[in-house]
Amino acid sequence: MEAKENNQFGLEKSHGDHISSHSSGAAGFVTPLTSSPILSASMVEAFFAPSLWNHHTSSCPMNFGESNIQTATSGINCVPIGKPVAMSNRGMLPSPPPGEFPHSLPHFPVDSGFIERAARLSCFGGSSFRGISLFGPSQSMAPPSDASKDVNGARVLKAELNVVSLPVEHGTIKGITTNSKRDRSISHVGTSNNESREGNFCEDGQERHTGSADAAGNSSSSDLGANKRRKATEEMEKEKDQVLRALQSSTETTKNNTETKHKSYKHSGKNAKDNSEAAKEGYVHVRAQRGQATNSHSLAERVRREKISERMKYLQELVPGCSKVTGKAVMLDEIINYVQSLQRQVEFLSMKLAAVNPQLDFSIEGPLAKNLLHSHGGSSSAAGFSQEMIYPQVYSSQQGLAHAGISSMLNPSDAFRRPMNTEIPMTSGYKETSLQMHNSWNEQLVMQMAYGANPPLNSQVINRKPDGFTI
Amino acid sequence: MESKSSDENCTNPNSELHPSKLMMASHFLRALSRIQQTTTDSFAGRSRKIRRAAYASMAYSVGTKRAWSCALLRKLRSRSRLRFPNPRRAKYAALPGGPRAARPQQREMDQAEVLRELVPGGTSMDDCRLLEEAADYIRCLGTQVRLMQAVMDSVSF
Repeated sequence: MEAKENNQFGLEKSHGDHISSHSSGAAGFVTPLTSSPILSASMVEAFFAPSLWNHHTSSCPMNFGESNIQTATSGINCVPIGKPVAMSNRGMLPSPPPGEFPHSLPHFPVDSGFIERAARLSCFGGSSFRGISLFGPSQSMAPPSDASKDVNGARVLKAELNVVSLPVEHGTIKGITTNSKRDRSISHVGTSNNESREGNFCEDGQERHTGSADAAGNSSSSDLGANKRRKATEEMEKEKDQVLRALQSSTETTKNNTETKHKSYKHSGKNAKDNSEAAKEGYVHVRAQRGQATNSHSLAERVRREKISERMKYLQELVPGCSKVTGKAVMLDEIINYVQSLQRQVEFLSMKLAAVNPQLDFSIEGPLAKNLLHSHGGSSSAAGFSQEMIYPQVYSSQQGLAHAGISSMLNPSDAFRRPMNTEIPMTSGYKETSLQMHNSWNEQLVMQMAYGANPPLNSQVINRKPDGFTI
Repeated sequence: MESKSSDENCTNPNSELHPSKLMMASHFLRALSRIQQTTTDSFAGRSRKIRRAAYASMAYSVGTKRAWSCALLRKLRSRSRLRFPNPRRAKYAALPGGPRAARPQQREMDQAEVLRELVPGGTSMDDCRLLEEAADYIRCLGTQVRLMQAVMDSVSF
């Protein structure tokens, strides 16, 4: 599993260092968390559980406002503080960003497994934060301590997403007013942990990608945050990758809903889209462009359409004479015609080969194959070649005769061969001509047999005659 | 004569010689020689065998990397096992481009459907994969056609 994640990570790296470098914004605050863990495990879980739960339920396109409310009231204090915390990603969070959290950060007991969980769940902050950001000042905030680090990461994420960065002063710390909710959500977490976590991971992965898109495009004002986030999120990369491949559509809905809500943001839609396309791997991370439908279905449709158009382009190169053709239907018609013509050509050639070669032996394979592939257009080599092929079976004295016989037999066939050598797609009239050729070949064969019967030494040729010429 | 062929070898670039092409050529030629040696066949039977050998060499050169080649190989093997060709079974095991009766036109309205019938193994693929397989199939078919033409050229001179 680890190896796979690593591979995935490596693949992503290959797509662009910037992508892998700022993996997920959520990971940005993992290091601060791990380095100075101040959250208890329960707090973290409670903190994230509602968001998890909500995300789990929001896999289907739902009223975004509702989800926001839920996430907001879950007491997450991950409201974006304002400007992204530039320094928070690596190492400690020495002091709260200026003008943000006026309160001190209470310290929470650290569990042994807490760090792990915090690290894993910290990314949820980003997703949940996003939902909350929309709510602005009306959001309730959990104790700032647990939020501080998360907020930083969330803030960074939010900035990346160009979501509204709301002043945190408005947020009232309602403590854990939603205790009941949290309890419920905790239980939910247990049940739906994997799914929601994966969903959130996917979200974060998408955020990461969008962040990478931003970084690549240098379009958003939150580049600072993006840069910092980049370094810090590498640790989370592996775990993220693991779940990235999981539910993607569920996260896409919420994420894209966010985007539609915040169209005012100068998100370089084009840029993001290009980057997201570049970042596509097994599972595709797609970003809804500005003004596009962000249904999960339509997104999947768009992905599918892009794949198909990609393949159609490739087919256009393959099929000769289709570079100017535009449109899927016409292209498909051309492809079908081409395949049919190729199949007809195979059939025709096999008939020709059956008719032409009763006298010839194909025992020389190695040099024959090479020569064939080299010289399928050159007649000069063919001449030399046929002699090579005839030689082992025909006595030297008869060689000239066999040659002559074959060449005489094939003179009419030259006329037929020329149209075949061109790559013109054959029409249905082809079959009729082939039948005519077949007849003429039969005549030629008879001629050849008669010819071959004269010299008594051409025993092999004689043996092949179906009607049994007596020697 | 040998010099001529060697000249061709020297002057022609080796870039076209993909190992799969060589495999295709050698397989096809071996099959051809085998077919030529059986003298009891009628013309039609021989041409059918050559056609099957062509598709077989195509499928073998690609191996199992592609869905269409697997489907082709399956068809070929099932055909070879048919002692008494059942017209019903033969329909499923029919090689592409085989003799087909006049098909009712209304069945082939959809282009994707037509393509699915053309490409071996295409009936159980979604559109995206179908296009991919069709591209590979077209490439391989083109190679096979060129190979057969080369054989024709070299033989019939």
